[in-house]
Amino acid sequence: MSDTLLEIDNLSVDYETERGDLKALRDISFDVQKGEIVGIVGESGCGKSTLISSILRLTAPNTRFRHGEVRFKGDDILTKTERQMRDLRGSDISIVFQDPMQTHNPVLSIGRQLVDIQHRSNATKAQKLDIAAKMLAAVGIPDPQARLKQYPHEFSGGMRQRIAMALMSEPDLLIADEPTTALDATLEVQIIERLKELQSEMNCAILFISNHLGVIAELCDRVVVMYAGAVVESGDVREIFHDPKHPYTRRLIECDPGHIKTRARILPTIPGEVPDLVNLPDGCIFRDRCEQATERCHQVPALEKLKDGHFAACWLNHPEEATA
Amino acid sequence: MSKPRSELSIILRGVAKDPLGLIGLIIVGTIVVSAIFAAWIVPYDPIGMNIPDRMQGPSWSHWLGTDNLGRDTLSRVIMGGQVALKVALPAVFGAMAIGLTLGMIAGYGPKWLDNLLMLFFDTLRSFPTVMFALAVVALVGPSLQTVVLVVMATSIPTYGRVARTQTLTLRNSEFILAERAMGASMARILGVHMLPNIIGVLGVLAAMDVPTVIALEAGLSFLGLGVKPPTPSWGALLKDGYALIRQTPWLVVGGGLPIILATLGFTFLGESLRDVVDPKLRKNR
Repeated sequence: MSDTLLEIDNLSVDYETERGDLKALRDISFDVQKGEIVGIVGESGCGKSTLISSILRLTAPNTRFRHGEVRFKGDDILTKTERQMRDLRGSDISIVFQDPMQTHNPVLSIGRQLVDIQHRSNATKAQKLDIAAKMLAAVGIPDPQARLKQYPHEFSGGMRQRIAMALMSEPDLLIADEPTTALDATLEVQIIERLKELQSEMNCAILFISNHLGVIAELCDRVVVMYAGAVVESGDVREIFHDPKHPYTRRLIECDPGHIKTRARILPTIPGEVPDLVNLPDGCIFRDRCEQATERCHQVPALEKLKDGHFAACWLNHPEEATA
Repeated sequence: MSKPRSELSIILRGVAKDPLGLIGLIIVGTIVVSAIFAAWIVPYDPIGMNIPDRMQGPSWSHWLGTDNLGRDTLSRVIMGGQVALKVALPAVFGAMAIGLTLGMIAGYGPKWLDNLLMLFFDTLRSFPTVMFALAVVALVGPSLQTVVLVVMATSIPTYGRVARTQTLTLRNSEFILAERAMGASMARILGVHMLPNIIGVLGVLAAMDVPTVIALEAGLSFLGLGVKPPTPSWGALLKDGYALIRQTPWLVVGGGLPIILATLGFTFLGESLRDVVDPKLRKNR
């Protein structure tokens, strides 16, 4: 019996666009063990959203799965029927979205939505309402009975995000898609605490997507660093933050505001832009922005195991003669 | 959870707070009530001729006078209201129901089905309503049912297009994605989550559409293509009055005033409803 919950194996996903195929994900491989918290970092457009929608199979109509597998509990998600997917979503795999102001139906009362979410249960409406009130109470919302009658716009952002979490029925895998990006710092702490609680209560694995390195460092066991649709580095959180083996990871850590000790007028940035994913440059995708790029970088470096639980895709980790 | 009664009372209370909404509510209420109880409140038989009393001006016994056959104009106006609503309500609700269904299918379904339905809507819309009505009446003869069907067919595209646009906007919204991510089926997404977001808009559109349909029915009756005489209709009253405008101007008033009042009433009500049905706007009122 394996302890691997989610296994992404060599996944490549394209979007068909008018300019040509946009290679949103290329040869992504990583896994999530049962009960583990894995962080995914990367700037906007690196394929984080495509990855999430691929796991839930909620991709846009112009999405093409080129090759690879997404195995959940050993079964390939990409070959499941829509019916089977529907049974997975919301019960085995749950998701918390980025913007809590947008994730509730604006014209239905919170109570109505909390009852609706229990569509899998056979309880009576009154019982479901009772459960709904308990859900609100459980996430610390006072006077739940009265608040059930209110509409989403009558709740604050932090409350709504907590409600979104309340909606979950014990999943095995919880995907948190930048759940704190739209919230302020104090609420962020609360939500992170709540996620930790959920993780220990339900013993679920969490796939935590964020570009806030501080939060990742605090919450996650392992981290996957993505750049322009590919995994550039992955491994134990401490390993990666203390001894990054890919120049992109290094620059990302340098650019994190929490990391900057001295007062600077200009915050550090990574010069250059993410390459065009329709017309990919050959060689390493980070080459154009990398200060340490050499001739060797015209060849694509493979994601290689450096030591147990630490992978990176960079020629710098190899002695010169290895590629000659 | 949903309590339709309390929801309705919230909406009605909201409309009544708005002065124009209140006026609209009163006018529409009066028309609807008088149409329902028309048979009991008419002072005279609306189609019974009484030649000795023909072409009288307003008096205590005939508030709006009589026509060239001695029929009481007020009774015909009240009965005409019933005819107007018998045409307007089924036509508007029928068009709304069909348009809503087709529009949601077009907005949520595959691209080819969307294209097909849009072609259907555009074809229907390309017929000028009155010309279309003339053609149908010429084919099957004038009757109340014909008017209802013609008006319904020509209004379907309006509702269909609005429902489609709303569905397209909603299907890409985050909360619908969230529902799908929680394992909601297509039926649940469309019925539980999208419908309440669309129905308010369409309801307002329908309230605004009722006067258009009333005017259309009156127009067709005025042209002799609507309901068959002697059934009273506001349009037919206008036509009779138009012919006799020098002898009894009261007939024109009897036909025209209710059309104007109904138009104003339903428009005020519709505008007021638009502000009230949106829970986000409701609180600020």
